[in-house]
Amino acid sequence: MPVCQFFLQGRCKFGDDCWNEHSREGGRGGGGGGYNSNNRGPPPQQNRGGGGFGNKVWVNPSQQRGGYVQPSSFGSRNNDQWSRRDGGGGGSDWGRGGGGGGGGSFGRRENIKSSEFGFSQNRFSALDTPSTFDKGRRAATTTRGDEDNSRICETIQSDMEVWESSGQWGFSTYSHAKNPLSGFSDLSPEELRLEYYTSRASGNLQNYINGINQLLSQWRSRVRELKVMNASTRAALITELNSTVSQESSTGFGSTDTGSAFGSKSFGASDQLSTFSFPGAPATGFGSPSVLPSTGFGSASSAPPTSGFAGAPTAPPPPGFGGAPTAPPPTGFGATSPPTASSFSFAASDKTSNAAPSGFGSASGFSFSAGTGGGFGTGFGATATTTSTFGSTSAFGQPSTSVPAPAVPASGATDSLFSTESSLTSEELNQFKAKRFTLGQIPLKPPPANLLVV
Amino acid sequence: MSLFGTNTGFGTGGTGVFGSTTTDSHNPMKDVEVSSPPDDSISCLAFSPPTLPGNFLIGGSWANDVRCWEVQDNGQTVPKAQQMHTGPVLDACWSDDGSKVFTASCDKTAKMWDLNSNQAMQIAQLCYDRQLGQNTEGTLFWDTRSPNPMMSLQMPERCYCADVVYPMAVVATAERGLIVYHLENQPSEFRRIDSPLKHQHRCVAIFKDKQNKPTGFALGSIEGRVAIHYINPPNPAKDNFTFKCHRSNGTNTSTPQDIYAVNAISFHPVHGTLATVGSDGRFSFWDKDARTKLKTSEQLDQPITACCFNHNGNIFAYASSYDWSKVQI
Repeated sequence: MPVCQFFLQGRCKFGDDCWNEHSREGGRGGGGGGYNSNNRGPPPQQNRGGGGFGNKVWVNPSQQRGGYVQPSSFGSRNNDQWSRRDGGGGGSDWGRGGGGGGGGSFGRRENIKSSEFGFSQNRFSALDTPSTFDKGRRAATTTRGDEDNSRICETIQSDMEVWESSGQWGFSTYSHAKNPLSGFSDLSPEELRLEYYTSRASGNLQNYINGINQLLSQWRSRVRELKVMNASTRAALITELNSTVSQESSTGFGSTDTGSAFGSKSFGASDQLSTFSFPGAPATGFGSPSVLPSTGFGSASSAPPTSGFAGAPTAPPPPGFGGAPTAPPPTGFGATSPPTASSFSFAASDKTSNAAPSGFGSASGFSFSAGTGGGFGTGFGATATTTSTFGSTSAFGQPSTSVPAPAVPASGATDSLFSTESSLTSEELNQFKAKRFTLGQIPLKPPPANLLVV
Repeated sequence: MSLFGTNTGFGTGGTGVFGSTTTDSHNPMKDVEVSSPPDDSISCLAFSPPTLPGNFLIGGSWANDVRCWEVQDNGQTVPKAQQMHTGPVLDACWSDDGSKVFTASCDKTAKMWDLNSNQAMQIAQLCYDRQLGQNTEGTLFWDTRSPNPMMSLQMPERCYCADVVYPMAVVATAERGLIVYHLENQPSEFRRIDSPLKHQHRCVAIFKDKQNKPTGFALGSIEGRVAIHYINPPNPAKDNFTFKCHRSNGTNTSTPQDIYAVNAISFHPVHGTLATVGSDGRFSFWDKDARTKLKTSEQLDQPITACCFNHNGNIFAYASSYDWSKVQI
């Protein structure tokens, strides 16, 4: 676009609506030259800059071509408040969100010189431009303004609504910014399909179906939870978003606010535990952190249960399911049979305010990758009767890169995290000692600490 | 199940496109159908490189086989050969000289299929594999002359999709991971990129710049969105962008739209435009430089799982089969 000569002189009477380019330097008076774009009422959809900005640098001209990119819509905005709603389903400009959150570090009122402020149609642009202050701000601060948080929560809520209503693939990880939100497991359709084929071949279709049902219910409950966004979810989310700067550290682990029986927090604190994925089960004290990755390891956050997902039957287990030794074991859950378990998986949701962990249960459901170490107790979950002893669960899955998980039961939680050898039956002990769990015999109790090998 | 499209004059609307008025919408575009399609879903398609005269198409399927057809100039296809694996075939590609086809399957092997002699040799024992030479936990680089992997690099997560255009390779993993590898001399990890997308990665395709060097990639997710990402752009905020595709109702925001996964992306070798195919059963052509949509097809009754252009861009092949996207039970 040609540069507006009047703007350069500081006297463009069209202000924001000028068809020529207004560079950010100079011409600041041009905005006030007669047209104050703030008074324009609802800003037009096509990005003519949104109210309050004197410059149009960040309006990408190609956006006006009405291409397939959704124009960022500013909804209602006032200069003071940076509260922005998504126009049309999750299309908010993340870059702006990030910028706004800087605690006003860039003077969100008058001076919007920064075009790095991410007003491009790529709402994730702020994610990959390291030079912007956005990133600096993000890395530096661990707390965000409240407005920011509420905006983020709103975005997440609307994303959840869209996700739920759109019929898109549910077994996907989701993230708002850089780090994924807990409670979502990443499974590709091919992995599930392979799972189906192998279970069909081995005659275990029911396991597959049960596993899928569990995954679905977990997903649904997590989405619903985020959509509703009650106070505890919000708090947990904010903590998680703020504290996931280092992905390795698993913040919290499983139940936090409910103070479940497993010193989860302390447990989680040790970064070694970053490697596990688990179905989370807070609230009722089942502990287990929710899964989560960013790096494929579970990091927990209080509420959400999670992911996990089915392991494959013992036959060449797709690693996705944790077959491969190096894959973080999906914590499978399980399906099936034992009555207690099944009652657990779905019924449990009645008991807990959060969606239950679902899925645990007896192993017959899916296998797990015992992973390299041999016996990581993936069993978790448990039946209602054994709640008090649960805690552990740790299954770690671990990929070789991880850390000596066993070595670290977080202080204080040692005894509840691992069982002692004497408390395990001989079959369970054999299972833990074996390289891989066999379907149907996966122990529900946590492994003894000394068997965990990195 | 596999359908063939011939589009001469790319971007100008292919020939043989008619609105479908019949209730049978398995081929609404009235494109040429490939004869003897595989019996189960097709996971991958690849056309022969320009070094081979004529056009040969290989397709791998979940029926454990890889089939090869010759595509003649009039669009008719002649089945030529087939190889079997013991597990579903997830990906296949040609060697540069066009004499060999490499296939990778869930049975943890990759085979080199010599088309001249119709022999297939197992060259790799891999863990769960998504594309040739890559396994979930690590990327393996193979020199086909030796039975052992030349090199193996760890990846943090399962590999969901990958693309290679020498000297660059991009791998998209679970948990929104993205790694770019530099393949000259020793393959090495070049950079890990923060994903521009919020959801699971589904497919990736590298594109080249005007000097025919790979310069960036397109990444598709399950959420009906594709991100165009340049590796070293002059202005990342402006150059990298995402766009929505494969959604049910265009700009109508009042009713919830259905969102479909982007199953595959393929770039036209000459024009640099891209094609995306999705679970909604449509394929679309886009111009990433002009940031516009060029064309969307009619809706097929099954999702489209794979697509590919031939070496000069005259033929676009797409495969219509169930992609396991409807898991609700």
